[in-house]
Amino acid sequence: MNTDRSRIPFIAVLFVAVGLGILLLSVTALPRAEKVEATPIEAENPLDPPIVSEPPTQLDQGALIFWGVCMACHGNEGQGLTDEWRELAFGEDKDCWTSKCHASNHPPQGFEFPHTVPALVGGGKLGRFTSAQQLYDYIYAMMPWWNPGSLTPEKAWQVTAYLLKMNGTLPADIPLDGKVASAIPVHRKVSAPPNDTTLALILAAALTAIMLGWLLQEILRRPLPADLAAGTAPKSRLPRPNFVYHLHPPSIPAAQSRWRYTLGAGGLAVFLMLVLGATGLLEMFYYIPTPELAPVSVETIHFFVPLGALVRNLHYWSAQLLVIVAAVHLLRVVFTGAYARPRRFNFLLGLGLFVLALLLDFTGYVLRWDEGIRWALTAGTNLLSSIPWIGPRLYEFAVGSSVISPSTLVRFYTWHIYALSAVAAFVLIWHLFRVRRDGGIAAPLPTLTETPARITRFDLVKREVLGMFLAGIVLILLATFLPAPLGAPIRGTPTLETDTRAPWFFLWVQQLLKLGDPFLLGVLVPVIVLGVLALIPYVLPAPAKEELGHWFPRRGRIAQILVAVLVTIILILTALAAFTS
Amino acid sequence: MLFRPQSKRIYHTKHPMSKYSRRDFLKLTTDGLLALGATLGIGGLVRFLSYEMDPAPPSEYDLGPAINFQPDTTTLLMHIPAALVCKGNDEFVAFSLICTHLGCTVEQKNDKFECPCHGSIYGSDGQMEKGPAQKGLRRLRVTKNEAGNLILHMN
Repeated sequence: MNTDRSRIPFIAVLFVAVGLGILLLSVTALPRAEKVEATPIEAENPLDPPIVSEPPTQLDQGALIFWGVCMACHGNEGQGLTDEWRELAFGEDKDCWTSKCHASNHPPQGFEFPHTVPALVGGGKLGRFTSAQQLYDYIYAMMPWWNPGSLTPEKAWQVTAYLLKMNGTLPADIPLDGKVASAIPVHRKVSAPPNDTTLALILAAALTAIMLGWLLQEILRRPLPADLAAGTAPKSRLPRPNFVYHLHPPSIPAAQSRWRYTLGAGGLAVFLMLVLGATGLLEMFYYIPTPELAPVSVETIHFFVPLGALVRNLHYWSAQLLVIVAAVHLLRVVFTGAYARPRRFNFLLGLGLFVLALLLDFTGYVLRWDEGIRWALTAGTNLLSSIPWIGPRLYEFAVGSSVISPSTLVRFYTWHIYALSAVAAFVLIWHLFRVRRDGGIAAPLPTLTETPARITRFDLVKREVLGMFLAGIVLILLATFLPAPLGAPIRGTPTLETDTRAPWFFLWVQQLLKLGDPFLLGVLVPVIVLGVLALIPYVLPAPAKEELGHWFPRRGRIAQILVAVLVTIILILTALAAFTS
Repeated sequence: MLFRPQSKRIYHTKHPMSKYSRRDFLKLTTDGLLALGATLGIGGLVRFLSYEMDPAPPSEYDLGPAINFQPDTTTLLMHIPAALVCKGNDEFVAFSLICTHLGCTVEQKNDKFECPCHGSIYGSDGQMEKGPAQKGLRRLRVTKNEAGNLILHMN
């Protein structure tokens, strides 16, 4: 026995060692994203066009434009208009500014040639620019010399990419555009983390393995004695629960835990909130809540922090799914008549949580501070000032100033990460407490069911873990393959390609707002919808006791029809807003 | 989660020669997988938090033409922070102004340097004169590049 026991720590250490090994492998030996770069090949003669791949990459296009447009003045290697370059490129015409085309008395199609042209490559040569975005802005507005502004944004990005490449600071495998450029420094090399997708999938696989092992163990566990399983055994014979089990009642009616009855929606909402808390905390390590740096730090998290894209996408997808799951939970409660006494107050708490989730979604969405949120922020907050009497005060309270300003961002940050989150956490715990205080989830009376079966907390936790596991896998897959949206940083004047859509859960309000008065349609209507929902348990007839625990109880018809109509209208409005421009 | 053999219980199927049942094996496997998952998770967390967002300060500074500095003068370069002492004849000595005690920037006082935080005092060439600092201000290397500019090396 002793010899066998002594082997256990060894095997445990072995497992951890294997884990460490896999981790090290995943860190170092993952297929790094260093594909053969389609770098434009230097032509043999410095004046020949660069040889590019087919189809040309962004970098190739940039090299071609540089060759055709920039090279004459800036030199083939970005060295500037040096004597050597003038000799090499123009030979007899090397004193360009004395020639007829480029002197001050140039003909209409000519232009005056500058005497000094800055070098573009080498330490400190692009010293006036910090980020690739600033370099792009300059090129787009000021270059080429004789016809500023003639480059399309696409071409200006191509040239910017080529300049970064020549300076050795272009990260591989990230197409340069407005979404990422402000996080790419001109003078410092940053590289995108090696393949995070693989690591995310390894995490998902590890999670799967653990879950399968755990479930198998649970399935093979010796069945509990009949009286324990039925929850009718004396308290002294019940197994002592650990902390997680202790959070659950010793046993509940089996009817309260059926997937087809609860849809698992409430539990999933709790799980999503936990994921949101954890990933949000991680994002806070990098997020900088100032107007200049907020979008840059989001870009940094998304493109450069190892696993940052996974964390951000998990946060995004959990938030989106939370709205859906919470709505499903609300519908389940209405359609099963579970809102009736004694659960009336908990219905209100749940409704409050739903509103908090929407507010958290909106404030979190604004924290991106990119072009994608500009108009949603403007329109959303202006709805507040449309309220008579208290509107302007309310606006200042929410926005922190009489106009959208830097303090708006700080205020939304505080709303999001602390004020609203703390209230939501408190109401969530209260909501869960009330579920137990009110006698658990609404279920058929034990006397009315043929099999008044009960399940223990151990079975309950097993179901919860299974649900969390499935949801976790879905989340990881969504987060790995569908990135959260990200736009170009807000900089001064609005750009025309800006997205003017509200976030999807407010699309129905946006559609309503097209019809007329903002206060009536954008504030009063949503408040009335909320009020109608809140009044359901207090005004409408409650389902009979013997109807509880079943879908669509007869005496809850009015509430069911009312909510079904409301949901249909909201869905139609959302569809209208989504599919018309 | 700690592994405990349950082999004495009769309801486990096990090989007659083995002290361990199938259940023990499964438990061990699961615990191992949990450990593996935790290791991966912690590894991912470390990776996530290890990103350096802001660049390190430059390793060298261009101080401009050497002729700008008069012999027998001490120039304070507060943006670095460092002091450049010109001894004449193109002989330059530089030292950091960061106190070697706990990193406050020292102040120049009558030819000496005094730390405002804990009172360490350094001489005009940065040598230690009074504690609590244990050693003098850090010497920095000064070179001249081909354009005649002084380059201050931070390491």
